Amino acid sequence: MLLIDLTVNGLIIGLFYALMAIGLSLIFGILRIVNFAHGEFYMIGAYAYTLIALFFGISPWLTLPCAFIAGMALGWATERLLMRPLYSGYASWGVMKDEYAVIITFALSLLLINLVDKVIGPNGYRGPSLVATTRVEIGPFMASGHRLMAAGIALLVLIAVGLFVRYSYWGRQIQAVAQNRLGASLAGIDTAKASSIVFALSGGLAALAGALLSPIINATPDVGAFPAVKSYVIVVLGGMGSIPGAAVASLILGVLESFGAVYISYGYRDTFGLVILILVLLFRPHGLFGERSREV
Amino acid sequence: MAVIFNDTRMRDRIQLVFSLGIFALVALLPAIVHNEYWQGVLIVSMYFAMLAAAWNLLAGYTGQFSLAPAAFGMIGAYVTGLLSYHFNAPPLVGIPAAVVVAAAIGFGLGRIVLRLRGPYLALTTLSFAEICRLVISNSIEITRGDLGLNVPGIFDHRLTWYYVMLGVLVVIQLGLYFLLRAPAGLYLRAIRDDEIAAASRGVKIVLWKTNAFTLSAAISGLAGALYGHFAQFVSPELGLLSQTGIIVSMVVIGGLATLPGPIGGAFLVYVASEFLRDFGGYQLIVFALLVIIFARFFREGLWGLFRRAIERTGRRPAPAPSAAE
Amino acid sequence: MACLSIDSVSKFFGGHKALDDVTFSVNEGELVGLIGPNGSGKTTLINILSGYLSADSGDVVLDGRPITGLRPEALARLGVLRMFQLTRVFPRMSVLDNLLVTGSALGLPEAEADGRARELIEDLALTRMMHLDAGQLSGGQRKLLEFGSCFMVPPRIALLDEPFAAVHPTMKEIMAGVIRRRHAAGQTFLLVSHDMPVIVELCPRAICMNAGAVIADEKTRAVLTDPVVIEAYLGEAAA
Repeated sequence: MLLIDLTVNGLIIGLFYALMAIGLSLIFGILRIVNFAHGEFYMIGAYAYTLIALFFGISPWLTLPCAFIAGMALGWATERLLMRPLYSGYASWGVMKDEYAVIITFALSLLLINLVDKVIGPNGYRGPSLVATTRVEIGPFMASGHRLMAAGIALLVLIAVGLFVRYSYWGRQIQAVAQNRLGASLAGIDTAKASSIVFALSGGLAALAGALLSPIINATPDVGAFPAVKSYVIVVLGGMGSIPGAAVASLILGVLESFGAVYISYGYRDTFGLVILILVLLFRPHGLFGERSREV
Repeated sequence: MAVIFNDTRMRDRIQLVFSLGIFALVALLPAIVHNEYWQGVLIVSMYFAMLAAAWNLLAGYTGQFSLAPAAFGMIGAYVTGLLSYHFNAPPLVGIPAAVVVAAAIGFGLGRIVLRLRGPYLALTTLSFAEICRLVISNSIEITRGDLGLNVPGIFDHRLTWYYVMLGVLVVIQLGLYFLLRAPAGLYLRAIRDDEIAAASRGVKIVLWKTNAFTLSAAISGLAGALYGHFAQFVSPELGLLSQTGIIVSMVVIGGLATLPGPIGGAFLVYVASEFLRDFGGYQLIVFALLVIIFARFFREGLWGLFRRAIERTGRRPAPAPSAAE
Repeated sequence: MACLSIDSVSKFFGGHKALDDVTFSVNEGELVGLIGPNGSGKTTLINILSGYLSADSGDVVLDGRPITGLRPEALARLGVLRMFQLTRVFPRMSVLDNLLVTGSALGLPEAEADGRARELIEDLALTRMMHLDAGQLSGGQRKLLEFGSCFMVPPRIALLDEPFAAVHPTMKEIMAGVIRRRHAAGQTFLLVSHDMPVIVELCPRAICMNAGAVIADEKTRAVLTDPVVIEAYLGEAAA
């Protein structure tokens, strides 16, 4: 049945969006910035997963964690090299820290896209499927084996992340820093380390998403652009810094797009998210779940 | 020593003089650069210089880091392109129309993003820019989509274009200089530095933020329209996010919130990118890297480096005529 | 003649009552001190008076004209100028330009604004830094600058929110001197401060707030010996 098909497909896509968006949401919660290079973490994951399997003939099950690690490494490096001025006292950008973050992550995005374009080449690479079965039927619903497996992995990882942030030692440090950076540092929490961990986690999750989707959406240098935009929409919609908000919004967006592509317009499917983004920013700038903050 | 640069009025004057110096240099270049291709490169640099100056006004001086500058260039180009394609309108109609339409849209965007700052502002303007591009790309019956539109030229000689564009650029730069020296310049900078405090001092926030968006959009629209007639072709690629990336690079490398920064940055970056193209297309990598390095370590860009070099050598302005004359 | 009247103003933040039916007037030419323990609502009141927050109930009237709901910039042009508890200046503009912004925004012609700004800078002993960016000033100097901004165009009422906090005694004396002179010339002030000696010295009348409500409004000496006020600051045992 078309409706069930569209809904389930939408939810599956939503799970992948969630992998992208949760990381971005975490970064915003802790640093109050938007990482405009987020899409490139996705891209690196897609390439790592695909190329390592291709060139070394290793099973994709082994290259999947490689992709995750590559994303984490890139995230960690980004935070250590570029993000320190945001919270150390010597920021020459002073009160314009947000703008600094915009410019530097924007430039990083350009750098990574063009670096990959130059070094690896503009041609796309199709990622290897995790499971060989191309068609699996579950009741009225049909999907490829890989897609189902990937969705399952995504779900498990999301739950793991949720548990980590909620209950683990570092997870709780991160929550503390997100709520009150100064207070957390006074309480002895290593806020720089918390930021590094968040960036690394964010990179890893995005890379994982890139890897899992690479059999469906080929790895190209600019493949990260569209999932990035989706993440921005989701993070704003769900409320910047709210993990449950991001998760719910991801699923909603996935389903909306799924239906929209069929019922409204295929060509404009990418614009839905953008329009939603603008509407939310205008009328509910704190998203569906986010918090109001006091200004003066 | 630091004396010359400590008086803001002196500082602005020196920056203007430097900009005029760059213009003079560019004006003389055709004496050595006879190659039409390279003259064309310089003309395109002027297009970028206008966009860069416009963005600098909005971001550097008013603190609104919009990610839509390329979109307004594209809008300007398409207004004049569409008017000529569908109605055979002459450039004398198309170009002013482009300015007006771009300004109106800029006004609208400004009103929309009034309450937004930092990442929220960036995201909204980015979405707006992408929506514009996608709409133009998808409206195939009206715009021919990605195929682009052919636009009639204006001047037969490339050199005429060269000096006309340069002339427009000079006028824009002078206009910005006088704007920034007027109370308006104080209001914009106050909004950039601390919007809350600015309100408490009586600055009309809504009015001036909107003005900044409108003027920035108008200049970008003009640049786009002129470029369209020069290149005799417009396409949605003008509004790509990477084009905004280039504009932002030019301003950051040249020097954000300075008068000569965007101009110098535009010429340097674009001309260099043409040279690098000969060596295998590493332009964007180099520029992105430069932006990162400058943003991270030298916020004031090349102009800032130049200024600090002067301060260190302790150069003083020419001494005033002795009073005992 | 009442310059500023506050009538039954209340303000809630979620469930918390920050201002509880606050009512008082400041007459033209008065220098009124506003004191109270931390969290008593003084800054919230100032924010409402200057347009940064809106009252949930009650009215504020300036010179007989209701001003509830007006934006900060509109209020500034009506003559309500304020200082912020956490000093706000324009860091990338020179000291001179910091003052010129206010002057021009409030309608002074350029030449006149320039003259007044330079005079103020002299009065505040900031002449040496006139052309430095405000961001290069020390904390106390920035406070002086922000203080000075209130007087480019003599306001109907100057709302000074803790101008003496963490300021060097010399600068404190400069500000106190300006306040004294201008008060003598008829300037109306509402001065929030924890600095009791200064309040006693400058303000004939003081208002004390606690937990969002006005608990005392009388001559300063009387306020400071009022048992209710002492209890608010030091607890029941001390009263």
